[in-house]
Amino acid sequence: MADPQVLQRVVKVIGRVLGLDPAEIKPTDHFIFDLGAESSQSVELVMGFEAEFGIEMDQEKALAVQSVEAAADFIAGYLKGK
Amino acid sequence: MSRTGSTPASATAADTGGLEAIFRPKSIAVLGVTNTPGTVPHDIFVNLLDSRFNGVVYPVAPRKRHIAGVRAYDYVLDIPDPVDLAILVFPGNVCEMALKQCVEKGVRGAIIISAGFREVGPEGLARERRVCAIAAEAGMRLIGPNCLGVINTQPDVRLNASFARAMPAPGRIAFLSQSGALCTAVLDYAAGKNIGFSKFVSLGNKADVDEVDLLRYLAEDPETSVILMYLESISRGRALMQAAREITARGAGARPILAIKSGRTAAGAAAARSHTGALASSAEVVDGVFEQSGIIRCRSIEEMFNTAQLLACQPLPKDDRIAIVTNAGGPGVMATDAAVANGLRLAAFSPETTARLKKALPAAANLKNPVDVIGDAREDRYAAAVDAVFADENVDQVLVILTPQSMTDITAIARTICEIHDRYRDSGKALVCSFMGAKDVAPGIEILQRHGIPHYILPEWAADAMAHTVRYRRWMNREVSGFRTFEVDRARAERVIKAAPEGYLLETQALEVLEAYGFPVVPWSLAGTADEAVAAAERIGYPVVLRAVSRAVVHKFEMKAVVLNLPDAGAVRDAFGAMRDRLLGTIRPDDLAGILVRRMIPAGKEVILGINCDPVFGHIIMFGLGGIYVEALKDVTFRVVPIRESAAGKMVRELRTLSLLQGVRGEPPSDIPAIEEALLRLSQLAGDFPRIAELDINPLIVHPAGEGAHVADIRIRLAPPE
Repeated sequence: MADPQVLQRVVKVIGRVLGLDPAEIKPTDHFIFDLGAESSQSVELVMGFEAEFGIEMDQEKALAVQSVEAAADFIAGYLKGK
Repeated sequence: MSRTGSTPASATAADTGGLEAIFRPKSIAVLGVTNTPGTVPHDIFVNLLDSRFNGVVYPVAPRKRHIAGVRAYDYVLDIPDPVDLAILVFPGNVCEMALKQCVEKGVRGAIIISAGFREVGPEGLARERRVCAIAAEAGMRLIGPNCLGVINTQPDVRLNASFARAMPAPGRIAFLSQSGALCTAVLDYAAGKNIGFSKFVSLGNKADVDEVDLLRYLAEDPETSVILMYLESISRGRALMQAAREITARGAGARPILAIKSGRTAAGAAAARSHTGALASSAEVVDGVFEQSGIIRCRSIEEMFNTAQLLACQPLPKDDRIAIVTNAGGPGVMATDAAVANGLRLAAFSPETTARLKKALPAAANLKNPVDVIGDAREDRYAAAVDAVFADENVDQVLVILTPQSMTDITAIARTICEIHDRYRDSGKALVCSFMGAKDVAPGIEILQRHGIPHYILPEWAADAMAHTVRYRRWMNREVSGFRTFEVDRARAERVIKAAPEGYLLETQALEVLEAYGFPVVPWSLAGTADEAVAAAERIGYPVVLRAVSRAVVHKFEMKAVVLNLPDAGAVRDAFGAMRDRLLGTIRPDDLAGILVRRMIPAGKEVILGINCDPVFGHIIMFGLGGIYVEALKDVTFRVVPIRESAAGKMVRELRTLSLLQGVRGEPPSDIPAIEEALLRLSQLAGDFPRIAELDINPLIVHPAGEGAHVADIRIRLAPPE
């Protein structure tokens, strides 16, 4: 289960990058299949998360993350190491 | 979000291989569309709209309100109406989810444009297999993944489900390609030559639908007259051959198939240890396979389209007699040379034709074939000459050549040729033109092409295409011979093969197998001592040959493990001792099974016969010029086993050096029927014993006609027992 605070900030970034209302983004949503992210936006999302949380992520691993919840968990892992 | 499935719109019992949903859908969902022009997910949707598709198109684009002015849906399941065809442009790793929803929706056909499958490695291959399984379980046919898409120009469909730049014009040619990039190049090439298409299919990874499925579908397509294929790999070898044989030779409903097969398995050939294996690169095997199946093999896109145009627009010629009409001597000679080199004949005109030509043409004109109407010819002279040769019953095809000279009225001549073409439309004769040049002749070429008269910049190309159509006609009219079966001692061969492990048989074992199958093997005996060797030679009759029998001796001549032409007992005894001493200096005594004593075979022509196991087609049989230069000369031909009687004869006739067997400079002709019989026996042997992985009879020594042939050397390698 993702950390609620991290999840909330992740949703905020996703809403901003994809131009969606955060209230309409569910933790189980897939970036592409449910939220309609395009390939160029995947990179923008990674950059948005890094800026939001002040972390630097492994690009390849970060781009492999496909859902909102998984992104929150992935970022939480970095935050623990800070 | 709706999760209710729907009934497919156009499910019919008569559907051919389940592909109607792909080629003639009533409704299409495009999954993964974006609003970014210049990307595949956007352009493919716009192409569908631009092609004025005769049906409904639904964009599935999560969280987008519309795409190109069309209301978008988050999921395919949200679409309120039935969907026949799904086109997936989502990234590869999302296609699995998307396809599952398509199954739930009841979609019957899918095209996966997306990459990210087997072409990217093991993970992609696993993904492709999962996607394929999802479709298969639902009975959904699938084209791709990793493809350009599908086009159907049929006016009541007008489907451009591809990211090609433009929809081609309608035509009678169907094109299948395993290379998506080549598809776009071909479309552009064809547009430049006013060539239209009935169907255009990018096969991609062929996860489900492959060339065999499409051939069978297109064979029933009333819009298609000719099928072209560009293949990099062949999925189902035997099925392709069966389908092609049926489609290319079924009377009025036949469709010629032209194919380019690229790629060679040089590594596979290099790994082979037999001559046959080393020579059986995919290119040579495919030549034989296509010949056996009636597929016209082309070496270039140009050659393929040159021939396709002729097959699509003109009748099949009855025979190989062509007439050439030209206004320039040089090109007439070039065309003649090319025609003859391609196996065509220049028609000998009837006296009536010659009289007509003499009356219509100036004194300086050449009235014989090729007819030269002289450089200053206008449309009247062309009209008279072309009409005269068309009317001649000794002519099967007509080639008209024009070179642009100052007084040449190019468009008037083109129009005249069109009129004559129409007049003889029901004659069953083909007409092609070569207006040589580029700029000045362009308006004339345009007139010809719009009229359905194939045009070639070079007369050689015309001759090449005409020759292909003649060969195709002969294929259609050929008499299909049976499979000859010989009475053989199968049990004896089976005893040898069953008892043997994986690897090479000893020469004595291989000879037993050949003897059991009735091959011409001279008397032989295995000797363990010099006394035994002499006794065997006395029994067999001199002169004899000694050959070491050992798995450790691969190249007998190099290891001096063969001694020829021993005339008497003393020579046999001496040679036996010397050979044994020499070999035991390099191999262990246990590795020497003995020394074979065999009657010396009289000299003759050396040919090679072989069997190899091709990964796609299974057992193949090879024939060629034999002896030690076989791999250097590469004068060989292949067929897939089993071969018919007629194929054995054809294999022999395909040899470049056939004249050596027919007899040159006073030599007697060789016993070709003996070769053909050996090929048929070999075919039977290969069919009976799938464990034979490689077999070389090299050489088979062929004697003069009526005197037979003899096996001089044999190697057989077995696959592991099942």
